[in-house]
Amino acid sequence: MTSADRSSGDRSRDEVLAGEYVLGVLSANDRQKVEARMVLDRNFAAIVQRWQENLVSLDEEYAREQPPAWIYPRIEQRLHGAAPTAAAAVTKPGLWQSLAFWRAVTAFSLVAAVGVGVANINWRSGSSGELTAALAGKDNPVSYASSYDPKSGVFRMTPVAAGPEKAKSLELWLIQGENPAVSLGVLPQSGEGELLVPAEWRDKIRPGDLFAISLETFGGSPTGHAQGPVLAVGPAVIKP
Amino acid sequence: MAADDLSDLIARVALRDRAAFSLLYTQASAKLFGVCLRILKDRSEAEEALQEVFIKIWQRSGRFAAEGRNASGWLTAIARNHAIDVLRARKPVADQIDEAYDLADPSPDPESGAVLTGEGRRIDRCMELLETDRATAVKRAYVEGLSYQELADQFRVPLNTMRTWLRRSLMKLRECLDQ
Repeated sequence: MTSADRSSGDRSRDEVLAGEYVLGVLSANDRQKVEARMVLDRNFAAIVQRWQENLVSLDEEYAREQPPAWIYPRIEQRLHGAAPTAAAAVTKPGLWQSLAFWRAVTAFSLVAAVGVGVANINWRSGSSGELTAALAGKDNPVSYASSYDPKSGVFRMTPVAAGPEKAKSLELWLIQGENPAVSLGVLPQSGEGELLVPAEWRDKIRPGDLFAISLETFGGSPTGHAQGPVLAVGPAVIKP
Repeated sequence: MAADDLSDLIARVALRDRAAFSLLYTQASAKLFGVCLRILKDRSEAEEALQEVFIKIWQRSGRFAAEGRNASGWLTAIARNHAIDVLRARKPVADQIDEAYDLADPSPDPESGAVLTGEGRRIDRCMELLETDRATAVKRAYVEGLSYQELADQFRVPLNTMRTWLRRSLMKLRECLDQ
């Protein structure tokens, strides 16, 4: 079989299988096989995702129904345990204040060529110890390629595209497991930038932790919690 | 569910913001409970499923931005997939994926741009091209999570006929969406 034959035959079979998965007609076993393949095969995952987007208007068929009031406390309990704990207090280290570039944001240039590709995160592992994360936001044209070097404690990032926000600051957050987001500081306000991660966090950033960037009032969130829109979220992975 | 608000709430949930999670629940739970009820057709199963769905939303929120999906569609897909999994576990149906078909084989690279052609396009116009009973079958499969056998019983046609109906309908829909 030539690769062209294989290609067109497999394409339509993949299209039908992905469509059957999204419709929901497959058996439990077959659903698991499809999901396993979506993890391994990016093209196939894109075919499934396209069906999901195509069929999304059928969601309008579902009528709203208010769930009983006891359900939400149960979810909270299952996620966080019995007693709701106060969110860990987050104080911005004084060290950071002196290192920040408190420059007003000029308009970021819009780089149109960057799309979803930025969001494709490679999970290959390497030996350099440096962590890398692609941070991408869906509705906001800001994307960053970033890396964190545990030896020097430097978080380095390159804005790939950004929206024209003025008089605002971009704040970097670290999310580890179930803990509330911790501020790692405010990012330099133009061009490629580096941020010195506070000393107490330097050795604690691990693959799988999430980095997020939110748009805050000038100088960063005064409360220690993200208040503005979250522009980008991405997991840390070992740099290939 | 307003898309912008939901996207922002999901991103905040990724930051482990419990207030945002609570707000997301307030905004989305009635719709997602409706999904669970419609598919599972059992109130206590739907109540259990809704909990699992929101636990999954909490766990997967970090992946939302990178997936580039419509927020409401992303949430509903988690609820649908979970409810269908519960349904299939409760009432197993026959497998159909051929063992010889190696699912781990990477699919061929789509011709350039092909994957993007139908992206984001809605199905409504294309559904009108299907014969009425087939369009109804497609819709019912999706909305109720029915298996091929259940659809065949409802439409009083042999199982293989129903398979052919849906597979041909999917191919027709894809062709129409790609235009």
